[in-house]
Amino acid sequence: MVGARVHSRRAFLARVGVLGAAVGGGGLLTRSLLAPADAATDSLLPPAVDLIRPVLAELARDTLNGLTVFAMPGRDPYSRTQGTPSPTPGAIEAGATDFIINSLDNFVPFPDAIAQPVGSALVTGLADSGIALPGLEVLPVDLRRLDRALATYLESDEALPLSFPIAGLLNLMATQVNPLAVNGPHLSPFARLSYAEKAAAFELIERTDADLVELLDVQFPEPLKASVSGLLKFVGGALIEFATFGAYGESAVYDKVTRTLRKRPVGWNHTGYQPDGPVEGWDDFIGYYQGRQKVSD
Amino acid sequence: MRDVIVIGAGGGGPVVAKELAAQGLDVLLLEAGPRHAKPREEWTTFEDDANNPLTGYLRWGPSDRDKPAWYREWPQNSFVWQLSGVGGTTQHFYGNYPRAYPGVFEGYDGPDRNGYDVDHRFPFTYGELVPYFEWVEATMPVMTAAMGHKEQTFFRGAETLGLPVQTTKTTHRPSYRPQENAILQPGGTAGKTADKDLLVYPKATGCTFCGYCFQGCMRPNGAPRNQFAKRSTDNSYVPMALTAEVWSRGGKPVELIADAFVTQVHTEKRHGVLTATGVTWRSGDTEHREDARVVVMSGGCTENPRLWFSSGLPNPNGWVGRGYTDHFFDWVFGVFGDYTGNPKGVGSSARLDYPPYGGLENVGLPPALAAFAGTLSDSGIRGHYKNGRGRTGPWDGPAGRVMGPELKEVLSHGMDRLLSVLVITDDDVEAQNRVTLSALPADENGPIPKVTFKQRQRTARTLRNREFMARKAAELLRGAGAEKVYRIDWAPLILHVQSSMRMGSSEQNSVVDPRGETRAVKGLFIADNSALSNGLGGPNPTLTAQALATRTAEKIFATYFDGDPWVRSSAPVVSTDPRISVRLAQLGL
Repeated sequence: MVGARVHSRRAFLARVGVLGAAVGGGGLLTRSLLAPADAATDSLLPPAVDLIRPVLAELARDTLNGLTVFAMPGRDPYSRTQGTPSPTPGAIEAGATDFIINSLDNFVPFPDAIAQPVGSALVTGLADSGIALPGLEVLPVDLRRLDRALATYLESDEALPLSFPIAGLLNLMATQVNPLAVNGPHLSPFARLSYAEKAAAFELIERTDADLVELLDVQFPEPLKASVSGLLKFVGGALIEFATFGAYGESAVYDKVTRTLRKRPVGWNHTGYQPDGPVEGWDDFIGYYQGRQKVSD
Repeated sequence: MRDVIVIGAGGGGPVVAKELAAQGLDVLLLEAGPRHAKPREEWTTFEDDANNPLTGYLRWGPSDRDKPAWYREWPQNSFVWQLSGVGGTTQHFYGNYPRAYPGVFEGYDGPDRNGYDVDHRFPFTYGELVPYFEWVEATMPVMTAAMGHKEQTFFRGAETLGLPVQTTKTTHRPSYRPQENAILQPGGTAGKTADKDLLVYPKATGCTFCGYCFQGCMRPNGAPRNQFAKRSTDNSYVPMALTAEVWSRGGKPVELIADAFVTQVHTEKRHGVLTATGVTWRSGDTEHREDARVVVMSGGCTENPRLWFSSGLPNPNGWVGRGYTDHFFDWVFGVFGDYTGNPKGVGSSARLDYPPYGGLENVGLPPALAAFAGTLSDSGIRGHYKNGRGRTGPWDGPAGRVMGPELKEVLSHGMDRLLSVLVITDDDVEAQNRVTLSALPADENGPIPKVTFKQRQRTARTLRNREFMARKAAELLRGAGAEKVYRIDWAPLILHVQSSMRMGSSEQNSVVDPRGETRAVKGLFIADNSALSNGLGGPNPTLTAQALATRTAEKIFATYFDGDPWVRSSAPVVSTDPRISVRLAQLGL
């Protein structure tokens, strides 16, 4: 039984991307780095949390790179993995990933009271989906140590950056669509998907996958249960819309102090918008339709 | 003790404030968001800086942009585009001022009379509201819109549909026309040059065709605030309200307080009747309370119900927050081989009305908003999944998001070779589409609202109307010469908001009586889009909401201040009046 639980726990951490990002091939933590946490008492746990925090941040960034190139592919490795390379700059060059992370972590007015349990659900929640994850055994595992560091982080008073549960959601759906995505290039399962597989992952989110709803709703008492699964439908749409808004907007090159652009935005180059920059007006006044300047009853 | 406290300086509140200030009443106007008194110092023309709903200067949130926006719960894929700040959503609107269709009013007996939302008509006739339409149209002023290339393209398509051109203010039949816009039309160099040095007031007057309606209007450069082209209330009614003493004999200027979020409407029983007595608002960490003889709620279709519920006011028939209409928009756009003029000029200057189905209007959008508009869908991603929908029709392929490589290809063809058409549905008032209080944690202003739209379970008439108008949009674009036409099947994008505190003749399904006063609380009036009885048949709601607010101001004056009505017996002052400009300069505004 214990063995089965450890296995499913390992499967779950692999699916949300944490296991691979932390200790997989190219992972950000080595066993020796995690080791002190294993031996530590409570007072010595913070160093482990300090180690896990950047792992989660990098995992979120990698996952969201996978999202933004889904919105606007370019000539970057993520677009190549997705199978839609483009000869012109895309979302990565447009700074869309920074845009999404900054929005999620600093400006989405999502109450901590919700974000925290959702985040915990996505890391500590039900693990046994019944999906076989081939290649799981190749992930070197120091599961207990990793898990303890994660648990400490989630139980701390620190506000959870929203980009982390969002990345967890995308990665969970990614492995639902393609279990092989637990291994491969990049840090995150979602970034390893093809364009069509990413679309399939969003299809699951939009139709509010029953397993996922159960996983999330179980964390909340009534009357919040329906709210959380309702939120998912909104989140699915919003992630796509914000990723495209960020990819085609000017945020990456906007200087807040001078209120000017440091350079021409990627989206403006693609679309030919305002070839000479902002204007006071245009010479586009043709006249009045049929010469009529006034109507009355 | 004030005469009147108005909650909200958006599209409706400043109308009541200005009208009652002109009659000499002591009016306090409270706005939850920023003042935006110096747009040239606070605004830019950039989409993310302006319109990012989380961080933009035109967002639903506090003045301090380092703080998060105010969260609202939407339990579906949707987007409720609220704005805080003086001017409310008129800050980003396009100034389109069509009148409501006559068929949505009581007493209408045209041949198509059974085609409308017959159970939720206005409790008076179209003729009753005409003097108020005319009053607002003269105040703004509303003008027939000039034509740019995107209008020319739209008309080229409309001309192929076999419909007449409308040459009246009132819409009598399916027809197309230039918009009647609350936009000062181009004068001098405006619209004739892109040279910054020539586009300075007074060399340029009115609309300069800059294309930045959605980022807030502050042009022509150097014009007094009340001479900016777009007549958002921050450029029209608010300047009039603040200067009432110079243009109205006996007028008393309104006191405007921004960053004042009203959290409570107070009441007490007087002679056994529940009566409004005043409000509490929050400014930063401080709470303030003032009393008034009359309180007017003008916080919009989402905030009025929220404030009602969080104030613990009674809701005997259960209709507070219900019957929310949104014109169930859709988005259809065409890709052209030639220049279309998108996104220059006013956001929209051409429309097609199709009572009793709804209407269409052309819309110019810059790149990020165009990308947003192309990826907000209830029909999945084109070519990948349909989310149970993905309708086919006279557009290319199934409806759905234009995403990733396809979006990049379409937009890289050139912003100025696209033409977008907004599909506006004549949608029914339905009890299920509503505002309630969310079970999610409250914010600093109290319990937050939850806005529920069951878009897939709307009435058969609403769904039919939307399909009908989406087809017309595609046919129009084909007629205009589009090489390819896309239908997005938008998820609810709630920009036109109406009727969540609706006025009606029946006590069974209305919150507000035919005078604009709430049935449950005396001395409490609703004056904004939420008081509209229905979705107007599809016309953009601001003119009708402002006409109704003007009528409500008269009712307040007659009922609580023993005054006489003025709309039928006097002439309005135009909001561009130079006396207002002079006084604004003295006030440093």
